[in-house]
Amino acid sequence: MAKVKIATDWLAGCAGCHMSLLDIDERIVKLSELVEFTSSPITDLKHPPKEGVTVGILEGAICNTHNIEVAKQMRERCDILIAVGDCATFGGVPAMRNLVGTDAALKRAYIDTESTVDGIIPDSDELGKPLDLVVGVDKVVKVDLFIPGCPPRADAFYYALTELLAGRTPVVLPPELFTYD
Amino acid sequence: MATVNITINDRKITTQAGITVLQAARQEGIDIPTLCEHPALSTVGACRICIVDIKGQRNLQTSCTFPVSDGLEIQTESPPVIRARKLVLDLLFSERNHFCPYCEMSGSCELQELGYRYGIDHWAFPTYTKGFPIDATNKYYLMEHNRCVLCQRCVRACDELVANHTLGLGQRGSETMVHADANISLGESTCISCGTCTQVCPTGALFYKRSSFMGRDSLTQRIKSTCGQCSIGCGMEIVTRGGNVLQIRGDWDAPVNHGLLCKMGRFEPLYDGRERVAEPLLRDNEKLEPVSWKKAFDVMVKQIGSAKANQTGVLASSYATNEALYLISKLFSDKLKVSNIGLLNGVAPQIFKKQQSTFAEITKSDIILVVSANPAKDQPVASFMIKHALDKGARLLIVDDKENELAPFAYMCMGTGDIDKAIEIAGRAANPIVLYGSEITKNSAKAIKKLEKQAQFIIIESGVNTRAAKAFGFNGGFSPAGIKLLYILQGEQNCDGKDLLKKVPADAFKIVQSSFLSELTAKADLVLPVAIWSERTGSLTNTEGCIQKLNSAVQPAGQAKSDWEVLRMLAEKIDKKIVFSPEAVLAGLKKLLK
Repeated sequence: MAKVKIATDWLAGCAGCHMSLLDIDERIVKLSELVEFTSSPITDLKHPPKEGVTVGILEGAICNTHNIEVAKQMRERCDILIAVGDCATFGGVPAMRNLVGTDAALKRAYIDTESTVDGIIPDSDELGKPLDLVVGVDKVVKVDLFIPGCPPRADAFYYALTELLAGRTPVVLPPELFTYD
Repeated sequence: MATVNITINDRKITTQAGITVLQAARQEGIDIPTLCEHPALSTVGACRICIVDIKGQRNLQTSCTFPVSDGLEIQTESPPVIRARKLVLDLLFSERNHFCPYCEMSGSCELQELGYRYGIDHWAFPTYTKGFPIDATNKYYLMEHNRCVLCQRCVRACDELVANHTLGLGQRGSETMVHADANISLGESTCISCGTCTQVCPTGALFYKRSSFMGRDSLTQRIKSTCGQCSIGCGMEIVTRGGNVLQIRGDWDAPVNHGLLCKMGRFEPLYDGRERVAEPLLRDNEKLEPVSWKKAFDVMVKQIGSAKANQTGVLASSYATNEALYLISKLFSDKLKVSNIGLLNGVAPQIFKKQQSTFAEITKSDIILVVSANPAKDQPVASFMIKHALDKGARLLIVDDKENELAPFAYMCMGTGDIDKAIEIAGRAANPIVLYGSEITKNSAKAIKKLEKQAQFIIIESGVNTRAAKAFGFNGGFSPAGIKLLYILQGEQNCDGKDLLKKVPADAFKIVQSSFLSELTAKADLVLPVAIWSERTGSLTNTEGCIQKLNSAVQPAGQAKSDWEVLRMLAEKIDKKIVFSPEAVLAGLKKLLK
């Protein structure tokens, strides 16, 4: 049987969810007998392959136009999209920006910081444009499965992936794996 | 009792008429989720989480408000019910900021629990991004409006339990806010910082400043004990983590206060900045030096043994436990024949021959006559009960020469000169109750006696354990003249001893048993460390005569011991025949209280 292809990527997140994915420890060896991790921010290949993958995993919130591009690309190239972590599901820590507004947050970060001298807000065509509101991934693309948690337990990743491999789609994770923090 | 037959989840149930569907389900062990409902409060059906499917009803109904009637067929977890509950949760989560990792109450939050139970794994609706204010103007607790779900538990607690009516709702629709008085900050408002609202809040909207981010519920221990700040004797839960006290919460199962506490009981002990006495201190060349307990006992036995009975004086604080007061009476009165034994606070006289009433009776009365007592300041939980009765239509008469904090709620306030007028008014009521304190004048006491037949009465003693002290014969008749040895059980009481020590002969040997360093301990010859409220064991008697246990939640600081432990060891060293058992104390005390 051909291996099931999985690609991961991150948006406005802290990489903690990817670390939690790695925390499935030696089980990853067993898992890689059945799946192929085609691309991820922590492998040489960064973008999901054009020919597509079965499972796409996204960490992080939608915070700027670049995040939207990455999310849309993943959605186009995968069959099942999983949003992992509180940022991808709820907006998370980056969404705290919503409480003050993007302009105020940028000003505070790049100009008003006590240690900053002559600060400027980065502005380049190569950079994504910050959005007015930080939102979860499901607000820009269709998401098939949500795994909240900050980060989700390693067991939550393992459970979701093994369920999918067994041909079952977990709708909501079991209570011991379902947490917001 | 009338009964009705209903069916819940296809289970046939016979239950009593007049209760709600929610209550009937709970009696049967059927779990219906709730959020705005609280067992101590009235039901309002604000949150819609407890909706159930009742056959024949047009819509899903809130089980917390729907009364049972014969033949009801109820489904509590049917697909339409679950769908509706998820919608309710999606709507609740979409308003304000309910993002758990930001929140101090994560892990102890009822809304989060419901989110888990119904699998709310993302926001179904765009979230409300408007920032609401945080009110941090109260010294002890925070109101974080961004976490509020408008369940109104706090509003109802303020109205129904404390009868303080500070909290209310303002504005309309999505702008609705819990606010204090006419939309002013909590710090400026009529809030009395009893903290009952924080105890009922299901989310992280109201929480204690001091214990913020110091450990969620699952990491803490709760020990039930009795508050020792006034003579009401409220049941409390001491919340600790790793040997540190985080919070004090009211014990909902407590017989006296039913979960209520006041500022004095809930917050102030946690902010006590006084320096502790951590080990026995003995005066050596004008300076107090640390000594071992053994040395301290040797000195005490020698000093007490060499003083004559008529040259010995004992003063106890009413903070003392029943056990300590018992041991003082056994050791000093019975064994050493010392008669000069007093209390650090006044004692109210016994005016009526009949048994005194309980606090529960206050809400059943129509006229409440408060004479020379200021419960709003000294025994706040009693004032909650009085104000609760006023809400139900009772009238308050105050006879007091001093300023009284209940005065704004009173029907009439009079000086003690007008006591006869007050008695005359109270006498016309069907069910009057008299509350009086230790400062009652002789004239007032005489006048009140006229109400003996028709009125209930409660003595509000000024000290914590004064009722027990009175029963053990501590009558306040202490005289410092000619004393050679003075034993003071100060405990946690604030007492500078200025007036007292001036009258005590300079060469008298002064033993002070105290929790904190004070002006009194500075002048003592021997200081013994005492465990404080969170550390001590024993029992207290409240002003009604209700005996309640104290449990130690944390280890005593340094070498401190519960007051009675020191006295027990002292008694053993002086006379082996003095037997002490906690059971004997309680049995003896019960007999004396009758």
